[in-house]
Amino acid sequence: MNLFKRLLVDASYAVQTSKGYQKRKRFFYNLLDNNDNIYKKYFDFSMIFLIFVSIGILIREVKHELPYHLVFFNSYIISIIFFIEYLLRLWIYGSITQAIIKRYEYDSYLGREFKLSKALRNILRFKLAYIFSIRAIIDLLAVLPFFHELRLLRVFILFRVFKLFRYTRSFQTLASVLATKKFEFFTLTMFASIVVFVSSILIYVMEANNPRSPIDSLYDAFYWSIVTISTVGYGDMVPLSDEGRFVAIVVILAGISVLAFTTSLFVSAFTEKLDEIREVKTIEDISKINKFYIICGYEEVAREVALSLHKKHKNIIVMDEDLSRVNDAKSDGFIALNYDPGSVSSYEKLHVDINTQVEAVLCLRQDDVENVYTTLTVRSINKNIKIMSLLMNGSNRKKLQFAGVDEIIYPQEIVGMIVKELVGHPVAFEAIHELRSEQSNINIHEISITKRVLENYARVGELNNKQYRLVLLGIYKNQDKFYFNPLDETFLEEGDYILIIGNKVFLQEFETQLNQKANG
Amino acid sequence: MKNVTAFVFGFNNYATEIIENLSNEYKNVNIYSLNKKDEANEKYEIKTFDLSDEWIDIEESINHENSIAFCVLEDDASNIFLTISLRASFEHLVIISLATNKESANKLQIAGANQVIPIVKTTADIISNMINRPVATKVLHNILYEESDLKIAQIMVQNTENFDGKFPADIDWSRYQGIIVLSIIHEDLSKEFIYSSQAKHKELINGDILVVTGYEADIVAFEKKIGRRHYVDWGNWSW
Repeated sequence: MNLFKRLLVDASYAVQTSKGYQKRKRFFYNLLDNNDNIYKKYFDFSMIFLIFVSIGILIREVKHELPYHLVFFNSYIISIIFFIEYLLRLWIYGSITQAIIKRYEYDSYLGREFKLSKALRNILRFKLAYIFSIRAIIDLLAVLPFFHELRLLRVFILFRVFKLFRYTRSFQTLASVLATKKFEFFTLTMFASIVVFVSSILIYVMEANNPRSPIDSLYDAFYWSIVTISTVGYGDMVPLSDEGRFVAIVVILAGISVLAFTTSLFVSAFTEKLDEIREVKTIEDISKINKFYIICGYEEVAREVALSLHKKHKNIIVMDEDLSRVNDAKSDGFIALNYDPGSVSSYEKLHVDINTQVEAVLCLRQDDVENVYTTLTVRSINKNIKIMSLLMNGSNRKKLQFAGVDEIIYPQEIVGMIVKELVGHPVAFEAIHELRSEQSNINIHEISITKRVLENYARVGELNNKQYRLVLLGIYKNQDKFYFNPLDETFLEEGDYILIIGNKVFLQEFETQLNQKANG
Repeated sequence: MKNVTAFVFGFNNYATEIIENLSNEYKNVNIYSLNKKDEANEKYEIKTFDLSDEWIDIEESINHENSIAFCVLEDDASNIFLTISLRASFEHLVIISLATNKESANKLQIAGANQVIPIVKTTADIISNMINRPVATKVLHNILYEESDLKIAQIMVQNTENFDGKFPADIDWSRYQGIIVLSIIHEDLSKEFIYSSQAKHKELINGDILVVTGYEADIVAFEKKIGRRHYVDWGNWSW
């Protein structure tokens, strides 16, 4: 390998492993192309603003003399900004260094001489693919008003309007929807073209020789055909001969069918893609939620859990492979996706960070096989996420534990324990049942001791819970030890939880006071 | 073991859990199933019954004060029919029934069940409590279901002179014998949280019942000081 190739490969490795370079490239990729990036929308809005400014200046310029600074801004500043954007997009589209490294490693692996020409050909191929894409061409044409001295090139400002397609996602959605009916639209265009072509010639033949007829040239005939077939009918040109009118009848009838066909194509394209569009929107909404619970399966227990969590203002995403259950969840007001909770791709499609955004996954299908399968799927994606699961048959407990469930809820066991307490310790049962019940006015709250709380409340005696007519049941320390009825001198520590019993209203006031005073 | 006979109607996973948990509390646990095949069960002695039964053989073994019946048939409609049938025959029998949903729970209550356990709602409440209040749920669960040192008891006040005529809300119960008083049940069976406005203005009288929580030894000491432990009369127990 000659020195130049060696240097090129070394440089490629250096660039590819450079954290600074990669970080910058990723930044521009996110800014220009990543719809999940929060800064992209600000960038898009800025570009849309520049486009409107540019169009505004163009319109104003038609009948007014503009100050030089505005013309300068429109012709140079905006053009340069668009050109920089064009170059950045060209840069982030594929990686030159990666292509060189890939070719080099491929050739080395096969024991061949590194063929730089092949690597360059590959680079050229993907860069040209971008350059000749419709969007890139529009981007480039939008830069042309830079040469505003050439008056003709000013009209290229209109290409800046087309750039709006890039920044407005609804336009992209519209284009993608219509693209699904490419064949039908092609057929329709062919049909309309043939009708226009034939009718133009016919009307020209019938009317051009009539000195009273306004249709005098082939261009007039073509104009008349288009106006008629589109059912616009300005009335500035009308056929006067009987033959000409007969042609008009045929074109009008063809026009009605073209219009009806076009409308039905639009409607069917949108109807077919509606679910997909909604799904994309739902996923976008989900990615914006900071913290949420994923409920896998939407049967009776799942529904009750979802409603209960919703009351506590927790965010919930329901996932079920059964469409009717998904519709149930939607009609209950939840974000629901018709995804299989047992499939890894379902979680990938969500575009969320499971570690930071998902609080827990609740496997609530009333079917142990499904819950084990879902648990294994979730565990294969993330080892740390909290998983809670329903257990329907006691003999499957070990399977769920082995699959990686953190908390198992076994309704039969719950009923057994409730019965035991009901008949053995009815007083305890009733008292605790009342504390846990949402319907009761007397409730138990757990309050986390944070740094802010500690700034003003160092000991139990300082909490003033009695002032709020609240009972301090105890402190839960270090995640494992519960200190019942602690003494006033007991120190509070960060991470402790105090369990307080009392009237809901006082509990809320007490909690607010703890934080307010700390803030003060 | 003061209770005599428990009747479990229906034989399924719920029934087996109930039977296991009843064995320490009841001298006899009689199991009845609609399915003849269950009679062959080796672990439990199971008799068959029919929803149109007149309950003649059961009537002989029922002691209204110390008996309890569990209706745990899988089908809600059958369970409701069973409950209403038992209530029609045994006016004072304590009946506890399982329901899958709220609608069935309401019907079971109308049918005469003393207590209904709505399975779906109960399970869902436990899951949401584990999420919303994990620490409180764990502590309360330990008090209620696990072999925790902490207990809950109800104690009838017999020596009001200990309180010097103070109102219950004015006493620092948390420093009184190491126990925490949660609520008061008055003679008329009205119940108040210990720091409620009513408790602030109502003097304690002999016969009032305090619901307390604390360590067993402290509860015993408190009990000796102010009265005696009060046990629930199942005959009057109702929700």
